[in-house]
Amino acid sequence: MSLRVMLSTLRRQRLLPALVLLQVAVACAILCNVLFLLWHQLQPMVAPSGVDERGLILIDQLSGDRVWTAPEVRATEAMLRAVPGVRAATAADGLPMVTAEIYVLGLQGPSGAKAGVNAYVGEGLGQLLGVKLVAGRLFSPADYRDEGAKWGVPEPIVITRALARRLFGAASALGQLLHRPDALQGPGYQVVGVVDHLLRNQLGWAVDGKADNTVLLPERVGATPSMSFAVRVDPDHQALAMREIGKAIAAHFADAMQAGMTPQVGSFADRRDAAFRSRRAAAWLFFAVATTVLAVTVIGIMGLTGFWVQRRTRQIGIRRALGARRSQVLREFMLENALIVGAGALLGMALGYAGNLWLMRFYELQRLPWEWLPVGAVAMLLVGQLSAIVPAREAARVPPVVATRSV
Amino acid sequence: MLGYELSLALRGLRRFPRSTVLVVVTVALGIASCMTSLLLLHVLSGDPLPGRSQHLYLAWMDTLHRPPRVDTSGMALNGVSANTFGYRRLKREDAEALMRGRAGVRQAIVADVLADESTEDGTRHLASQAVLATSSDFVALFGVPLLHGRSWTVAEETARAPVVLIDSDTAQRFYGTVDAIGREIRLGKRNYRIIGVFAPYAPQPHFFGLDVGSFTGNGGENLLVPYTSALANGLMPMTGDGCDAGVDVSQTGASDPAHCASLSLWVQLGTPGQVASYRTYLRAYADDHPGDRGKTTAARYGLYGVRQWLDMNGVVPASARLNVLMASSFLLLCMFNVIGLLTARFLRRSTEIGIRRALGASRLAVFAQHIGEATLVCLAGGLLALPMTELGAWILRRQGDDFSPLVRSDPWMFGALFAIAIVVGMAVGIVPAWRASTVEPGLQVKSE
Repeated sequence: MSLRVMLSTLRRQRLLPALVLLQVAVACAILCNVLFLLWHQLQPMVAPSGVDERGLILIDQLSGDRVWTAPEVRATEAMLRAVPGVRAATAADGLPMVTAEIYVLGLQGPSGAKAGVNAYVGEGLGQLLGVKLVAGRLFSPADYRDEGAKWGVPEPIVITRALARRLFGAASALGQLLHRPDALQGPGYQVVGVVDHLLRNQLGWAVDGKADNTVLLPERVGATPSMSFAVRVDPDHQALAMREIGKAIAAHFADAMQAGMTPQVGSFADRRDAAFRSRRAAAWLFFAVATTVLAVTVIGIMGLTGFWVQRRTRQIGIRRALGARRSQVLREFMLENALIVGAGALLGMALGYAGNLWLMRFYELQRLPWEWLPVGAVAMLLVGQLSAIVPAREAARVPPVVATRSV
Repeated sequence: MLGYELSLALRGLRRFPRSTVLVVVTVALGIASCMTSLLLLHVLSGDPLPGRSQHLYLAWMDTLHRPPRVDTSGMALNGVSANTFGYRRLKREDAEALMRGRAGVRQAIVADVLADESTEDGTRHLASQAVLATSSDFVALFGVPLLHGRSWTVAEETARAPVVLIDSDTAQRFYGTVDAIGREIRLGKRNYRIIGVFAPYAPQPHFFGLDVGSFTGNGGENLLVPYTSALANGLMPMTGDGCDAGVDVSQTGASDPAHCASLSLWVQLGTPGQVASYRTYLRAYADDHPGDRGKTTAARYGLYGVRQWLDMNGVVPASARLNVLMASSFLLLCMFNVIGLLTARFLRRSTEIGIRRALGASRLAVFAQHIGEATLVCLAGGLLALPMTELGAWILRRQGDDFSPLVRSDPWMFGALFAIAIVVGMAVGIVPAWRASTVEPGLQVKSE
């Protein structure tokens, strides 16, 4: 059967194909947006952390009635290092997966490319976290100065590979200078090392290739209202070490803690779990929505195609009697389905894009990248073909003898 | 006559049970998802104090001597908004002066404080409980339901009297009785006398203390204490909007209202005239106390109604509205689906309809029968949507947001669900019923 004949059939029986088309259009529009939202939630979760996660313990929200002095911070570091099972401990400002405190910084490269980054600061923090160096070096003890100190010369900085590419393009980052956009005349920062990955702790912004917008700075944590620590322990005795650390903190601070503040002590895995809890819930929700949309569409297409096959039983019988093969009948129904669903998907893509633009005017929503539109459309085509198989095979089974009945 | 159409519709439903179930489930899915998202929005955008909130206003002006800000480019590049005015709070000196200047108006200073509570002997205690440090008019202004005793007087407040009001849950838990008047409770580092007991009070959204959280799904403040005695005893507000330049916050913390803006001032204003007059008053005060901006620039001040205040702070997350839109488009998809399924189903009985028409049934009668069938199916779908909505609410309650525990079904929801089911039934019924009613009488009878 030629395409022309098929189209004329569709023109004569408009209601049912139109219903399938509308259904597919709405489903496709929803699917494009939901899959995009799902991906948005998943991005930070699938980004590599860039640290050696086993045996890493993170502590934060150690807040007192007043601001802790630098000697108190040093004393707490020493106390933590003395806990059995602890290999290294350092006070930090900004830690991966710890979202309560973030250190934000703007950086501008020589070409004018800008990036907003999160900084992790603390003596020996890079080594302690176990980041993987790909060029240059991490900081040596001589590099460190107290946090907030005036530098006067370019401050050494360690950046990630993704950040190097963004700020310097193809050129080597080592030795290059970076500046804060509001202090372009200052000494700025000099890149001494590049690490493979380091996930930022502003997790909501760890999307669209900005997951590795993280830097390490050679600064020693001084007076602070709330202390945070990174602790490296024997990975085989992590649980035990964590209990000991909890006890040591309770003993060390006894009454000095601020009322209502409980210090958070957790392994990297615990912290990761907590940091992604709401994100995971949202991802599951979007996943469930996408699945339900697909299921409802399958039911709809199957029901309508089945009914349509039934209505045209005699027509099929006549065609079979006139010499059409089973495979031809099957192919026709599949092609017809592809035509209708394809048209629906086209309409759906437009609808999805328009819907996204309209929503963006009212909500803080990401623009739906156009690449997502074909994803939804292809999904709809597949689903359409899948749900047409059963009715189409039924059509192919119609015996030619039907043509002779009850004319 | 309608009874006959209905009985036909029922008969029709029983004829193809499998497709009936399919339609009912699809409708139920659509309605349930729509209802769940609406339920969440309903909970989030509710009026915290019906009957009172429209007369409540937050008074604010900026009198801080602000230190110069640094590195806003880093914040901008990382999407951190530099909200320089925070929760529109005041320093103590200004809040008290504003209250003194308008003695006739009901006003209350409000701040959330964290404190450990315990009985005198320490046998029962609550660690790091949110407590409301406020002034004497709070109970009257915010409609706190007093069960026993009284609120404190202005004189007691000025004298920093160690008195408190506690809620009945805490009274029961600490003293085994709701009437705990005259007992002592330890708050932070000293004892307070209980002079009143109120029924648990937690308006949602938690509009008078958004710094603690927009919603207090796990219970709000369980104790009211005069702010004067709380501050005198070292109980500081939990957060502040910023401090004067040059203040050594390492000694006092960043929320001491002596130098930091950390007290909210709520005012009751019944008429537009009163609102306008208070605004003028506020402006005059702000002009006299220019803070760091000097006399030349315009005064920064504001008087915000509860609704406006909630909107300004984006208390209803955009995602909640987005969910409603998403669920509505899903319902639309389900409706298209059901229209298709019903059309197929009705046209399968073309013969039967033809016979009915040939026997004299009017088009209208056929139309009514089929639209009745569609509505019945959708009502059944609505019925099935009830437990599904409960399931949705249960899932929402497990999400761990501060509003999660508040997501509960209420009578409003049942009404809305019923209405949606009827409207959906009518809407999806029109096209298939019209198709069914246009079946020609003669043709169908002939062909079989």
